[in-house]
Amino acid sequence: MKSFGWKQILLALAGFGLIVLALVVVKAVPQDVLAQIWQKGLTRPAGWRNILKESTPLILLGCSVYLALRVGLFNIGADGQFVIGACCATVAALKFPGPTGIVAGIIAGILGGALWAYPVGLIKAYRGGHEVITTIMLNNIAGFLTFYLVSGPIMDPTGQQPSTATIADSAQLPMLIQDGPFRVSSATLIAVMAVAGLWWYLSRTVGGFELSATGKNSNTARFAGIAVEKVTVRAMAASGAIAGLAGAVQVLAFEHRFYAHFSPGYGFDALGVALLAGGNPLATAASGLLFGFISESTSILGRTGVPKSLSSILLGVLVIVFAAYRYRKEAIVRD
Amino acid sequence: MIDLTNLLAQQGSVAVSIVLSTLAYSSPLILCALGGLFSERSGVVNIGLEGMMLSAACASALAAQATGSAAIGLVAGLLAATLLALLHWLLTQGYQIDHIVSGMGINALALGGTGLVFKSLPDINSKEMASFPAGFYYGLAWLAAAVIWWMLRDTRPGLRLTAVGNDPDKSRQMGLKPVRIRFQALLGTGLLTGLAGTLVASSAGRFSEDMTAGRGYIALAALILGAWKPWPTLAAALAFGFFGSLQLSLQGQSPMGIQIPDQVWQALPYLITLVALAGTLGKGKAPSGLGKP
Repeated sequence: MKSFGWKQILLALAGFGLIVLALVVVKAVPQDVLAQIWQKGLTRPAGWRNILKESTPLILLGCSVYLALRVGLFNIGADGQFVIGACCATVAALKFPGPTGIVAGIIAGILGGALWAYPVGLIKAYRGGHEVITTIMLNNIAGFLTFYLVSGPIMDPTGQQPSTATIADSAQLPMLIQDGPFRVSSATLIAVMAVAGLWWYLSRTVGGFELSATGKNSNTARFAGIAVEKVTVRAMAASGAIAGLAGAVQVLAFEHRFYAHFSPGYGFDALGVALLAGGNPLATAASGLLFGFISESTSILGRTGVPKSLSSILLGVLVIVFAAYRYRKEAIVRD
Repeated sequence: MIDLTNLLAQQGSVAVSIVLSTLAYSSPLILCALGGLFSERSGVVNIGLEGMMLSAACASALAAQATGSAAIGLVAGLLAATLLALLHWLLTQGYQIDHIVSGMGINALALGGTGLVFKSLPDINSKEMASFPAGFYYGLAWLAAAVIWWMLRDTRPGLRLTAVGNDPDKSRQMGLKPVRIRFQALLGTGLLTGLAGTLVASSAGRFSEDMTAGRGYIALAALILGAWKPWPTLAAALAFGFFGSLQLSLQGQSPMGIQIPDQVWQALPYLITLVALAGTLGKGKAPSGLGKP
């Protein structure tokens, strides 16, 4: 059985051509680019530390988007939920210094993210408002709301920038492995656990089954006695909760404070992570790692003068080519 | 004593400036939203409007700066946006990729591509681009609404567009070719988003990174609030434009002694869209064939 037709190959080639063209435009030599990434990224412990650090929020957000995708919802709002989760977690962690701060921060992040996604599910299920529009609106509102908060009510009184104070050392997520420049945060473990949890939920629980059934065909699901509206609202809130957790983890493990324009667009990368994972929730870990690698690679290239915009092009090509490939597989199943 | 004439003149000039800046804010939104209308009325979901507008802004600024000709700048802008619109057609119709995924991909390509071009041309901002007066584009925006309204009501292509968008299967039985009609529709999308992007670049006089700043998404919101109809879409875009300009003139002021943060005004259009979606506005009026093959 052929799983990759000539049309798909042509598209992949065009995508590859586009990336090479982009490199030519910025006057970079492809061999040099690869050598740079190999030397500074893949062969150094510090490179791997950064790749894991970049992958952690992407894996968690990938899980968030993946869960929503299973019900057929495009959670473009993971970015906003991430930001709100991070903001709530920072406030909680600043209130409770010490290990309680970690717990409080994580709970606050999860609640914040879930709350931010809740209306999306409600509007979709009971009003028919498309989730892509509502989440994009909520992303913008989250941006303005948190900007207002960090430049006023929760701003560090001693600071000049729109940023909160730094959370106490004791309220930070500890490192699991610390071997010279090579470090793995416990946050990465949380991300891996989230992937495992997602797999378990989707494949081993009634709730997960209802979710997938609704996503495959909501009419059939309704006939089978599944309350489609409730499942939609529940899935959206759960998706937001994971995105909020990602925000909390980002603060507690890596950033240690919340500031204006907190997310560098992770939510959009996360859609790529989830799409790339395809039918298997466990694959979100692998595709999150790949996106983390891309992100770190463009950082390395950034230091040699290649603009970071390259990663955006790479993301576009990956998403398009993979979506074309995945459709092909589904078409064969349908035949 | 209050100088009444002075006060009136002051109020008058405030009103004029609000009208002018409402036009400036809303015209790219109107053009972009009407571009989206073509695509969505034919059944193709289009969240790639942002990328199409952005690429047009970049291409038109580059061409107009290089040649010193406003016309060549406009043509380059139209070409860039049309190219992306046709890519969206190819991906959604030829490759049957999910429309939202394709739109996201196009936005990423446009953001990355224009960013790359911008960074690798260091003297891009050295001189102002040649451009047509803004009024030209404002006029085109209103004209486009009128033409599309007439087209959809009274002309053969317009009725076919609606038929394909409402029920592609039935229109196929009637002998229409949805793929071909959608190609024409996306040509229209490309031209109008191209105009929108060229306008954005012209009014700034140059291109800057991510200069459309999410306005493609607001245009999409205007289209949805306008229930996929030309005049209501124009009205929604005008409303967003009005809030946008209101926000500018109210910044730092405290009406009736209440200090309202600027962010409240900035967030207002998004909040209104959200409330409208949660209410009855925009419910169930979407072309019923939206997103179908």
